[in-house]
Amino acid sequence: MSAQVIADPVELEEDLLEELRAVVGDRLSTSAAVREHHGHGEGFPGVFPPGAVVFAHSTEEVSEIVKICAVRKVPIVPFGTGTSLEGHVAALRGGVCIDLTQMDKVLNVNAEDLDVTLQPGVRRKQLNEYLRDTGLFFPIDPGADASIGGMTATRASGTNAVRYGTMRENVLSLTVVLPDGRIIRTSRRARKSAAGYDLTRLYVGSEGTLGVITEITLRLYGIPEAISAAVASFPDLESAVNTVILTIQSGVPIARVELLDDIQMDALNKYSGLDYPVQPTLFFEFHGTEAGVREQTETVEGIAGEFGSADFQWTAHAEERNKLWQARHDAYLACKALRPGATVYATDVCVPISRLAECIMETRKDIDETGVLAPIVGHVGDGNFHLSPIFDPNDPEEARRVDELNERLVLRALAMDGTCSGEHGVGLHKMDFLIAEHGDAISVMRTLKMSLDPDNIMNPGKVIRV
Amino acid sequence: MTEMLKAETEDQVLDTIKWAAAEKKPLEVRGTGSKSMLGRPTELDHVLDLSALSGVSFYEPAELVVSAGPATPVAEVEALLNDHNQQMAFEPPDLGPLLGNPVGGGTLGGLLACNLAGPRRIKAGSARDHFLGFTAVSGRGEMFKSGGRVVKNVTGFDLSKLMAGSYGTLAAMTEVTVKVLPAPEKTRTVLVNWAKDGIYDHDGTKAMTEALASPHEVSGAAHLPAAVARRSAVDYVAGGGRAVTAIRVEGPEPSVAHRCEALRTLLAPLGETEELHTENSQTLWREIRDAIYLAADQERHIWRLSVPPTEGSRVALQILEGRPGEALYDWGGGLIWLTLGVAPDACANVVRQHVAAVGGHAMLVRAPEDVRDRVSVFEPQEGPLDEITRRIKDGFDPSRILNPGRMHKES
Repeated sequence: MSAQVIADPVELEEDLLEELRAVVGDRLSTSAAVREHHGHGEGFPGVFPPGAVVFAHSTEEVSEIVKICAVRKVPIVPFGTGTSLEGHVAALRGGVCIDLTQMDKVLNVNAEDLDVTLQPGVRRKQLNEYLRDTGLFFPIDPGADASIGGMTATRASGTNAVRYGTMRENVLSLTVVLPDGRIIRTSRRARKSAAGYDLTRLYVGSEGTLGVITEITLRLYGIPEAISAAVASFPDLESAVNTVILTIQSGVPIARVELLDDIQMDALNKYSGLDYPVQPTLFFEFHGTEAGVREQTETVEGIAGEFGSADFQWTAHAEERNKLWQARHDAYLACKALRPGATVYATDVCVPISRLAECIMETRKDIDETGVLAPIVGHVGDGNFHLSPIFDPNDPEEARRVDELNERLVLRALAMDGTCSGEHGVGLHKMDFLIAEHGDAISVMRTLKMSLDPDNIMNPGKVIRV
Repeated sequence: MTEMLKAETEDQVLDTIKWAAAEKKPLEVRGTGSKSMLGRPTELDHVLDLSALSGVSFYEPAELVVSAGPATPVAEVEALLNDHNQQMAFEPPDLGPLLGNPVGGGTLGGLLACNLAGPRRIKAGSARDHFLGFTAVSGRGEMFKSGGRVVKNVTGFDLSKLMAGSYGTLAAMTEVTVKVLPAPEKTRTVLVNWAKDGIYDHDGTKAMTEALASPHEVSGAAHLPAAVARRSAVDYVAGGGRAVTAIRVEGPEPSVAHRCEALRTLLAPLGETEELHTENSQTLWREIRDAIYLAADQERHIWRLSVPPTEGSRVALQILEGRPGEALYDWGGGLIWLTLGVAPDACANVVRQHVAAVGGHAMLVRAPEDVRDRVSVFEPQEGPLDEITRRIKDGFDPSRILNPGRMHKES
C-alpha cells in the first residue's frame, strides 16, 4: 500500500551481462518493458525493475547464474508468475531477476506413492490438467494461476487448506540453488526425513531470501469419489461465522468453507450475473465417498439451520459447483468492478478459530465507522479472512483511512493471538508488523538469513531487514 | 560426574544457558530423559534439567490448541484432551518400552524435539505439522517466541518446523503449542489374513497401496508378518498364526461402517478379510504405533527405515536375506521398523546401501551406546547439505553448547 520504500538499484556491469549471456544465450533481456514487467507483483503499487532478466532452463543454469552474481554480490530475485500480493518480487536493489517460467515441465508422477516432481514454472492449473488421467490432483489453489515455485516460496494456500493444508504440508522435497550457487536436495523421496534439520520447511515460505527453488516434489491426493457443494445465507455475519466454528469443532472433514459478506455477495451478483440473496453467505464443499459426502452435508445443514439459515442448497452437479467456485475466485475482480478505476488491497489476518466471530464483528463495525468500502471474504475454516478495501489510490485521505483500518485490523488480530498474514506473506509491506508479531524471533530469523546468505544477495529487502 | 542444573522457571533456563554460553560448558537438554537413548550418545558434564517446566498452561477445547511446558507428560495431555473428545491427530507414539524404558514416560517437548508420529501420519501429518508455536532459549542465550495459536501463518521463516526434529540442538524450549482435533467417534480396522505359510510382505504392500489409493480415507495401513502378528494382544490378529495386513478407517459410525464394508469388498480378492471394531482396533493400532512387538528382545538392534511406500517390502527383504531379524511395516510400507541381530556396526552399511538405492534413509533407533557412537545414527549428510546444517546450528548455537553431538558427530 502506501509504505515508503526506498529503491537503491546497483549498476550491472557489461562484463557481468556477458558472462550471463555465455550461460543463457539470448535468454537475457535488459529491455525496459521486460524489466518493468518483472519489477512488480499484484496488489502492490510501484515498479522496481531489475537490471536484467534471465530466463533459466535448468537447475544447472540457475546455479551458474547465481555463481556469477555471487562473486560480484549482485542481488538476485527469483520470479514465477508475478502474482504475489505483497511486493515480494520488487527488485529494490536492482540486480538480476531469474525468471523460472520456462522451467515448466512435470518431471515424474509416482501415482502409487502419491507424489509428483516438477519444475518451478509449472502452474497449478497446468499441473491438474496434466494429472487428470491419473485420478490424482493437487489441492492448493490460491486466487491466481500461480507457479508451483512461487507458491512454494510464498507458502501459499487457498480455499482447500482447511482439509488439505497449505504448501507447508504438501511439499515433500526441494532442489535449491544456494546463494553461493551450490545445489542441494533437501530430502529424499521417502516421506519422513530423519536425516537432519527440516530444510524443506525452512525454504517453503522463505520468499526467495535463502535461495532459488528449482525443483519441487509435491504430495498428491486421489480425486474424491464424490464432491458436493452447498450455499447458505444467514441473517447476520455472526450466525454465519458461528456455523463455521461449530462445523470445525465438530470435526466435519470439510474441504472448503468460504465466508462472503453482504457487500461481497452484491459485488458477485453484479459481476457474475448471479442472484444470491444479498446477505452474509457461506460456500461449502465436501469431499469423500458418496455416503460420506451426504453425511457431511446433512450435518452442516443441521448446524446452519441452528444458526438461522433457511435456504441451505446443495448440489453434486459439477457444472453448478464450478460456477460457484469460479464466482468465489472472481471475488477480487468483482470488487474492482464495484468502483471502476479504484484499487483493491487485500488484508490477510488469521486468528484462532474461537476468536473468529469476535474479530470479524469488531472489524465490520470498524469498517462501517471508517466509511471505507471493504467487502469481507475468507477461508474462515482456518480463521483466515480478507478485507478488500476498494479505494482511490490518488486520494491520499482515503488511502490513509484504508492504511489505518488495516493497521487496526492487524493489531486486533495480534491481540487475539492471531497473525498479520495467514497466506499472502510478508514481502515488503508487512516487515514492521512482523516485528510487532514476533519480537525477539526476528533476531533469530535474521541470524538464520545471515548464516545462509551472508552477503544478502537473495531477494534483499524482503521478510526481514538485514 | 554429571552435574544436574535444574531450571524451575523459564528465566532460570535463560540464566543457565547464558552461563553455559559464556563458560563454553555443553549442556544435555533433558525433559525426563525418556528418549535419551534416541540419537547419538553424548557424555556431557552438565544436564539442563527441564522437568520442572511441566503442566498445561492453556487449553480451551473450543480453540483446538493446547499449550504446555516442555516436560509435561504426553499422557497427561492426552488424558486432558480425552476428557473433551479431542486428540493430537498425529498419534504420538510411546517409544518407552521399545527403548527399554517404562510406559508413559515421554514428554510433549521430547515428542516434538524428536518429531515423532504414529500410524495416522499418512493422513494427518507428523508432529511438526501440528506444532504451531513455542518459546525457547537459543544457544546464544536469547529467549524468543515463534508462531502462535493460529493454524496458518506466512510470517517469515517457519521456526517451529526447524525446531521439530532438532533433538534439542538449536534451542531449549520452555513452552510449546500444538494443534488438537476432535477425536473420531468410531474406529474400524479391516484385516487381510494371508495364507498360513510363506512370506506375504509384498502382498501386504499391494493391499496397503490399493487401500490408500481408494477414496475411503484410510487413516492407518500396516503389515505384520506372521511372527510379529503372533505377539499381538488382539486375538483376531494373533490367533491365526498368519501374516496380517491392517487397514484403519475412522469417523462417524455410518460412514465408518460403509467404508469398512467397501474396503473389505476391495481387498477380498487378495485374501480372507476380517474386521475389528473400536476397542480391538485401538489396541492393535497402539501396538503398531509403539512398535511394541519388537520391544521384548532388547538385544537386537532396531532400525527405522523411511522409504517410498511401494519399495518398502523389497528393501526390507533384501536387508533381511541371510540375517536374523524381522520387519514391521507402517505408513503403507513407507516406514519399516527392522530388527537385526547384534553386529559391531549394526549392519549399517548394508542397511544404508539398500535404503539409499530407493531414495530413502535410515535411523538407528536402538543399539548399545558404543554402537551408536561408532555408527552414524541419523542418515549421514554430505557436501553442501552438511554445511547448511552446520550453519544453522551455528546460527542458533555458535558455542555448541546445546546437545552437541546428539545428531552428528562434532568435528
